[in-house]
Amino acid sequence: MATNTQNSSRLKRFFIGAPIATSEDSHQRLSKKVALPVFASDAISSTAYATQEILIVFLSLAAVGTAAYSRLVPISLMVIGLLVIVVFSYRQTIFAYPTGGGSYVVSRENLGKYPSLVAGGSMLTDYILTVAVSVSGGVAAIISAFSHLAPYRVHMAVGFVLLITLANLRGLKESGSLFAPPTYLYIICLFGLIIYGLFRVFVQDLGPIPHTEPFENELLSGTNSVTLFFFLKAFSSGAVALTGVEAVADGVPAFKKSESKNASRVLIWMAAILGSSFFGLSVLAQHIKPLADEEGEISQTVLAQMAEHVYGGRNIFFFITQFATFGILILAANTAYADFPRLSSIIAKDNYMPRQFMNRGDRLVFSNGVIFLGLAAISLIVVFSGQVTLLIPLYAVGVFTGFTLSQTGMAVRNYKLKDSGWIFKTIVSGFGATTTAFVAGIVVVVKFTDGAWIPAAVIPTLVLSFNAVNRHYTRVRSYLQPTDGYVAPFRTHTVVVLVGSVNQGVLKAVRYAESLRPDRLLALSVIENSDDRQRLQEQWDKFGLSIELDTIVSEYRDLTEPILNRINQIDDLDSDDLITVIIPEFVTSIRSQWLHNQSALAIKARLLFRPNTVVTSVPIVIP
Amino acid sequence: MKLVMGLKDAFNSKVKPVRELDAERLVDRFAELRLQPLGELEARDRTKVCGEVKRMTIKPRSGIPSMEIVINDGTGEATVIFSGRRHVAGIEHGHCIIVEGVAFADTNRLVFLNPKYSLLPTGKD
Repeated sequence: MATNTQNSSRLKRFFIGAPIATSEDSHQRLSKKVALPVFASDAISSTAYATQEILIVFLSLAAVGTAAYSRLVPISLMVIGLLVIVVFSYRQTIFAYPTGGGSYVVSRENLGKYPSLVAGGSMLTDYILTVAVSVSGGVAAIISAFSHLAPYRVHMAVGFVLLITLANLRGLKESGSLFAPPTYLYIICLFGLIIYGLFRVFVQDLGPIPHTEPFENELLSGTNSVTLFFFLKAFSSGAVALTGVEAVADGVPAFKKSESKNASRVLIWMAAILGSSFFGLSVLAQHIKPLADEEGEISQTVLAQMAEHVYGGRNIFFFITQFATFGILILAANTAYADFPRLSSIIAKDNYMPRQFMNRGDRLVFSNGVIFLGLAAISLIVVFSGQVTLLIPLYAVGVFTGFTLSQTGMAVRNYKLKDSGWIFKTIVSGFGATTTAFVAGIVVVVKFTDGAWIPAAVIPTLVLSFNAVNRHYTRVRSYLQPTDGYVAPFRTHTVVVLVGSVNQGVLKAVRYAESLRPDRLLALSVIENSDDRQRLQEQWDKFGLSIELDTIVSEYRDLTEPILNRINQIDDLDSDDLITVIIPEFVTSIRSQWLHNQSALAIKARLLFRPNTVVTSVPIVIP
Repeated sequence: MKLVMGLKDAFNSKVKPVRELDAERLVDRFAELRLQPLGELEARDRTKVCGEVKRMTIKPRSGIPSMEIVINDGTGEATVIFSGRRHVAGIEHGHCIIVEGVAFADTNRLVFLNPKYSLLPTGKD
């Protein structure tokens, strides 16, 4: 038995790594240069798919044809405006909550229970979607480079999620050495593409991408006018670029001193990079007209089409761009693996989520949160067959709900504290909250049928279940809490030894039962027929067992039910009786254990829920 | 809601617990004897009842053994104690017996102490 546990724990150690002592837990402090890639990868990575999603709405859903390209820049400007508002509001949060102010914490401190639960639920769904969307996007980047991999989209995405999950179970720290190269590489590639692309467009007169395929022309030949509905829909697709902006505010304690100042710098840098690259991509796309459709018949991403066209074919620059895109998207998925377990542990600590989310594993990570996140993301990827476009409508609702509640919380806080300049601060946060609430509303309305109904249903369900979990924990605690001067009641004690046949195990169990000195002691055996009883009785006498032997015949060959009935009867005799049921059990090796004790297992499972019943196994170890 | 309740009732009448099935079986079996049903048995009345042996307990109580059996006729149960004996000829699990005597109440059960008894033929014979 001992060797078996050792083997299984060795297998675990092979995958997870050697356990780390709690006292070894160290928090790496990040410099700004390192913090930028760690916290910004999520936000910046959304440039890889945001432009494409805007184009899909116009070309594929609204069928406005080439008119789509002239709407890219206005929409990107609107998104940037939104970004500026949100960033300003989060700057305040960073200074107000140097210990980390995620939406959940800020709304818990300032708005109360339900808003904080909504924020928590929104952020949790959002992190799951971050993983699903980012990994799907990363796989799309790879497929753009190697189109024959297209049939394995879901397999690859699931494989990558599993890899990231495993890496995080091993305790992948938010280490700069891991995050910095891909993030910076992507930023360089992105700006390289934009600058070189604009140079080629404006100086070398590079024309649009030639489109020859029939369905490509069909996409471009749309003549519908741009309605407000589709404009807002395209805008809400572009607004997913803002996901991940909250990461800096969540992680303020990870910065070097002085934390708030450094964090707000990084936030501004991130916003600058995100805003300018998103704008640059929109301008570039307006001129070279990449295509995208809803069904994913065009296997190349918009970014890949632009890179191929700008660099003049599939050369080294094209491949570097694709790999950098893949890299940053995987990192973006990875940031959710830091955020989700942390947030779920905080919510669990407040008794709104199962306690298991607070458990830290061998490597000091919240293992259950990591595993849950991985499984949830995998199921999303499988259900939506790894298509970014299908996942996007689900994405934005949670983010903007989180933004709204966090900023409302800040507005309330500023109003209450009335620090210097509180009027301005309250107005900034209030305006931000109103804007993001408006965007959240738009997303739900214009994308309701596309999938926005899913988070709109899931988040309230989560809030209700948080509440139910909390009610349960509160009830249990108040039930267990002893009142002053509480004395445990005295109970008479009845011990029942379950007997199959007389063997060493039973003899030991009876001896053990006698050592308990109960008020009443009896053996209970369920037999098949009267011959069995006589044989048992003979054995009983032969070994000089002096306790009373109850036999019941099981008319219906069931073992559990007659035993439970008899225990109920015995219990009825005394009102405040404590019953100990003793089950002799053989313990053999793990290979042969299943040959024994199946009925014991069933009886134990049933007795577990019986009040005032103790179940004791007397083990007989058979080497 | 009404439909759900209806389905539940239909389910319950179709899928009876084993205990009820067994009770029905015993009631059918003893119906023709027309004896006092155990369910209506009162203490201190001279009576004649019957039932199937459901449980046997052999008590080695400080050297003086006793045998305790529980009989059931589908309507209720009664305990029969034969003191000073470890086995009584013909009394075994699954056998049916007729008991004549006076029952006394002991906590929440009715007990016949060393009553007059007769065996009913078992199904196998």
